[in-house]
Amino acid sequence: MAALITHSPILIIAIPLVAAFLTPLIGMASRKARNTLVIVSLAFVVFLVFALARDISINGIHVYTLGATSPGQTIPTGFMVPVRIILEVDGMSVFFGIIWAIVSLAAAIYSLSHIASETGQTRFYTLLLLMVTGGFGMMFTGDLFNLFVFLEIASISGGALIAYRTKYADTLEGGFKYIVVSAIAGLMVLFATGILYAQYDSLNIATLAQVIQYTTLDKIALALLLIAFAMKTGMVPLHLWFPDAYSVAPASITGMLVITSHACMYAAFRVCFTLYGGVIDAPVVGWIIITFGLLTMFVGVTMAVFQKDVMRFMSYHAISQLGYMWVGVGVGLAVLGNTELLATYGRDAMSGGIFHILNHAMYKPLLFFTGGALFHYTGTRDLTKMGGLAHKMKWTTILYIIGTLSISGIPPLNGFSSKILIYESVYQFHPILTVTGIIVSILTLASFTKAFHSAFMGAELPEYKKVKEVPKSMIIGMVILAAGIVFITLFPSLIVNWAIHPAADALIDQGAYINAVMGAVP
Amino acid sequence: MEHIAHNFPFIASALLMGIAFYIILFKKNLIKLIMGIGMLSSGVNLFIVALGYRTGGNAPIYTDVPPGPMVLSVPQALTLTSIVINVAVLALMLTMVIHTYRHTGTLDSEKSRRLKG
Amino acid sequence: MTFIFESGYTFWNPLIWIIVFLVVAIIVYFFRRRGQKGYKKDTDQARIFLCGEEVPEAEERHIRVGNIYWGFFETLKEYYKQILRVHTGIINDYILWFVAVTVVSAIILVIAGLAK
Repeated sequence: MAALITHSPILIIAIPLVAAFLTPLIGMASRKARNTLVIVSLAFVVFLVFALARDISINGIHVYTLGATSPGQTIPTGFMVPVRIILEVDGMSVFFGIIWAIVSLAAAIYSLSHIASETGQTRFYTLLLLMVTGGFGMMFTGDLFNLFVFLEIASISGGALIAYRTKYADTLEGGFKYIVVSAIAGLMVLFATGILYAQYDSLNIATLAQVIQYTTLDKIALALLLIAFAMKTGMVPLHLWFPDAYSVAPASITGMLVITSHACMYAAFRVCFTLYGGVIDAPVVGWIIITFGLLTMFVGVTMAVFQKDVMRFMSYHAISQLGYMWVGVGVGLAVLGNTELLATYGRDAMSGGIFHILNHAMYKPLLFFTGGALFHYTGTRDLTKMGGLAHKMKWTTILYIIGTLSISGIPPLNGFSSKILIYESVYQFHPILTVTGIIVSILTLASFTKAFHSAFMGAELPEYKKVKEVPKSMIIGMVILAAGIVFITLFPSLIVNWAIHPAADALIDQGAYINAVMGAVP
Repeated sequence: MEHIAHNFPFIASALLMGIAFYIILFKKNLIKLIMGIGMLSSGVNLFIVALGYRTGGNAPIYTDVPPGPMVLSVPQALTLTSIVINVAVLALMLTMVIHTYRHTGTLDSEKSRRLKG
Repeated sequence: MTFIFESGYTFWNPLIWIIVFLVVAIIVYFFRRRGQKGYKKDTDQARIFLCGEEVPEAEERHIRVGNIYWGFFETLKEYYKQILRVHTGIINDYILWFVAVTVVSAIILVIAGLAK
């Protein structure tokens, strides 16, 4: 058991990777064995992530050096800097890891019947597992170049999965837009990595953070990294590809794409707080993030009210919810240098933003899954053609209501607890942030009510007389996420104390991250 | 003059990236757009490979090495990885464009679009 | 395993909310119990009554999504006209925004550094 936990960072990345390449082999033998392999490997990853999280809460940051005689030996004897690939998992990384593990398991279970009528299912699961690998790699890696590599693994498999249903023209367009945007963002990340390497001869985030000077070149690299990752998360005005790609993907993949966008957000936070943490011009970068965050919230929700395509409508809501996280963490970044303000409201704002990531990662995939359930039986994403579906799809309706109430921040559901945390802390930074947040929240509720009315309410329409409830595995996938929502609703303080505060502190405490790799500074 | 000769690889990579961005921003043909992304990746790769060169350094090949310092091979390793990744990305994009062409019968990024708003 | 959630200024307890919802549900159920006992399912009693007018078919009765919040969109017509102009759906424009935002933020960062 101890050895399992010691090696868990690499196992969490390697198990989906190995399973991905075993899937086609086993898929040739039997369909059932293949599905079992996918589910069992992902379930084992969930177990490993929780074991790793427990270990981190007891022993602090977990460092894993690949190829060293012992995983803790980050700097080889006779060297001053780390030369090996290092995985570094702290409270923030493992927080994202838990989200990613749960959502990918739910998405895989949901896929079992959601894509049951499609061809090329074996390749679908191979790509899904590769995407899981890429996501975990981004969250756990301790060096910039591997961040780029795993970003590209996640993007390539994600792009291929978006375009999976090649019989429709729009899926290919969405997939193409996604892969073009990802390729350019990825190349800019690589360019920025090159700029940093040219100056400091290192790729390791901890080593770079120790020696970084914040020269003009560093500022340009920061802009490149920040905006490239922000584009991958869908920050307004770089969000234009986001609804195109998300609305056409199979619903299970859309749910997972939400979390890959959170993984890019994690990378942006990691760059701002850890890589540049000691030298960054915190108020300026903080205000840039807050401004774009406000735009993201407002434009996202106003575009969402306008939409008639159910998946597109939810994608715009995903954009608008991302704005809350940018604002929350941006306020934390803006007061990073000021210990007093950080203690008064900065840490709370960051906790709120990070808590919102967890909540969003539960309710948004759930809503996308219900949207996929609607598409599964009506065969259309167009809300104008739907109506009266609550008569037949009772489970889907209930799960949709849970998701809706949660995303609009209706107490006592979990969306409320993170929003109140953001509102009350960013109010002390600038009142306009809270005012915008509340307006956006109202519009969110309004637009979800509209979608609820037009899809589920009303008399039973004659064209949907034959609609049945969706298959069991889709219900199970959705119920896993709904159970997450109920759990967070009932125990908010438990989650905040055990998961959110350690994650926020891991971002603020740059020194601990550096020391875990470089050893205590003499 | 010597300054320019010294920085020649960087100037070349900047030019490549500039032309690539021009193509990506202003050419509506999807195949040309993919070519632009290919050029952008070449520019970035050239930049990283140029970083690996130090004046008077030897190539990091251990057999029959002349005396003197050796360059660290990290940038070469990075470039190799990045080239492989870009091959995969370009292949995937071309596949999607072929399928798009089958559905819509056009390669124009404005005429082939179905999703907007 | 505490239900209480405190964060500087906020105090709230999901249990209280759940109890309130339960109380409301009981009251609603109480009113429902007081309803007509003589009601029979699947008879003319269950049919829709519209002042004696003929009731339209189900698909004509349903208020479709395009008709909801008409006034909201009418008021914000100008805003939507401008915002939809940005959402062209052309991939080249997407990258143009990326280049523009990157350049602007790089300039802001460099100027902010010079100002210090």
